[in-house]
Amino acid sequence: MNSSFEIHHLAKTHWDAGDRPSKYLFSNLNAALLGPERIAVIGASGQGKSTLLRMLALLDAPDEGDLILDGVSFRAMSSRQWRTAVTYVAQQAVMLPGSVEDNLRLTSKLHGTPYNSGLAAKLIEELGLHYLDLSKNAGDCSGGEKQRISLIRSLLLRPQILLLDEITASLDMNSSQLVEALLLKRHREEGTSFLWVTHDLEQARRISSRTWVMSQGSLQDQQSDVLFKEPVAELARKYIRSMEGGDTNEPNGT
Amino acid sequence: MSLTALSFTLLFVIGTMLISIWQKLGLEKDIAIGTVRSAVQLLAVGYVLQFIFHAEHMLFVILIIIFMIGVASWNAAKRGKGLPGLLWRIAVAISASEMLMMGILLGLHIIEATPQYIIPISGMTIGSAMVVSGLFINQFKHEVQQNKGEIETLLSLGATAKQAIQTVRTRAVKFSMIPTIDGMKTVGLVQLPGMMTGMIIAGANPVIAVRYQILIVFSFTSSAAITSILLSVFIYRLFFTAGLQLKVPAINK
Ligand SMILES: Nc1ncnc2c1ncn2[C@@H]1O[C@H](COP(=O)(O)OP(=O)(O)O)[C@@H](O)[C@H]1O
Ligand SMILES: [Mg+2]
Repeated sequence: MNSSFEIHHLAKTHWDAGDRPSKYLFSNLNAALLGPERIAVIGASGQGKSTLLRMLALLDAPDEGDLILDGVSFRAMSSRQWRTAVTYVAQQAVMLPGSVEDNLRLTSKLHGTPYNSGLAAKLIEELGLHYLDLSKNAGDCSGGEKQRISLIRSLLLRPQILLLDEITASLDMNSSQLVEALLLKRHREEGTSFLWVTHDLEQARRISSRTWVMSQGSLQDQQSDVLFKEPVAELARKYIRSMEGGDTNEPNGT
Repeated sequence: MSLTALSFTLLFVIGTMLISIWQKLGLEKDIAIGTVRSAVQLLAVGYVLQFIFHAEHMLFVILIIIFMIGVASWNAAKRGKGLPGLLWRIAVAISASEMLMMGILLGLHIIEATPQYIIPISGMTIGSAMVVSGLFINQFKHEVQQNKGEIETLLSLGATAKQAIQTVRTRAVKFSMIPTIDGMKTVGLVQLPGMMTGMIIAGANPVIAVRYQILIVFSFTSSAAITSILLSVFIYRLFFTAGLQLKVPAINK
């Protein structure tokens, strides 16, 4: 797959413009994915990582700048089409009314495409959910199960780029590792790119080839192997001050 | 009932105002305003109707129905601050349900095509459509706020606006119909409806009065359903931007 994704001078204005040094939450972000890439996104809480991912999925409108997928601006493409290629997976997994299976079949229902039950079964297996009764009410699943179901639901769209917002935050270590392994495999075998917001620097090191560091309203693109040569504690002090939940100013973790 | 007799009923109002003053409820002013308004409005309507019934001209009937739809739409649209373009959508929904109802009632000769029938029955169906529209809009906004996560999840998976808001939309339609359906179930048992009471007091045979009341209840229910469903189709897109982002209207603005 010869896909490209470019971010040009992207900005989001801050919603309370008064008495702040800048009217932007972030501005003049520039970055690009040339071909399949694995990118970790790190930064302290409230820096706008979630907002950035939502914007890349067009769930929030970009206030300035442009997003270009395979040479086509988001303005020249329908949001629906864009989102099937660039798909956001939220930190809080939301199950839609109905069974687990209804949730898995959702995207084929939305797009009128055949349901790929083989792929679904494979993903369920690989994420350690083989024990799950698919006729169970999705709302009754545990947080960790919901998170993995929501990931499978998005993967069944077979997007070019996945935007992953702290998707392992509510998972135990074992499930977390299954998720990492699965996404690395999808990247290798299918050429799926991902942008993965995480507060876990060890995880960032394991899954990424490049790291986007968001701080003070701007974005730095770094080679992960160079960045993670520094001791983790030092990095955390520099970029993720609130890694241990210190000065978190996210009201509901979104 | 003579006007002198009618003016004695003002004693009720004065009594209520005295109680309000005595109990420091602070309602005297509102009661006074309400009294004057309802008396003036109703007396005016009485004379207008008398004029129209004498004139026997359909143009006047149509004008008064347009006026009723205007007031009803304006009233219901007050619930929908933050949703631009709501007023005319409500007006279209209410007009469509009124035309459909009248089409059936007149077309099948269920009621006579005279102002005496058309105006009061239109007034009641339009009134019920107004109440349902207000309820529906309130509930729709509320459901969208509550289910932002669900709607955005659907959007992020490439849903259309219609697909993303479908469950929320049907829930709001259902909710807006509940009072009408409940009313239908208990009508006559708890409270005699206003129109029937009026007809009986004015000397009509209760059995005849009941027949008209049944007609009204059925018209109410279908006009409520039609209005609510049409309105839901007309307005769901207002919750999205052109770029298909969810736009949640502010709650207290
Ligand atoms: N236009 C905006 N859109 C989104 N968030 C905004 C905006 N303006 C200011 N904010 C604030 O910026 C912060 C963004 O948080 P978020 O994107 O969740 O960051 P992170 O995921 O990095 O913790 C929140 O505190 C939010 O209130
Ligand atoms: Mg976040």
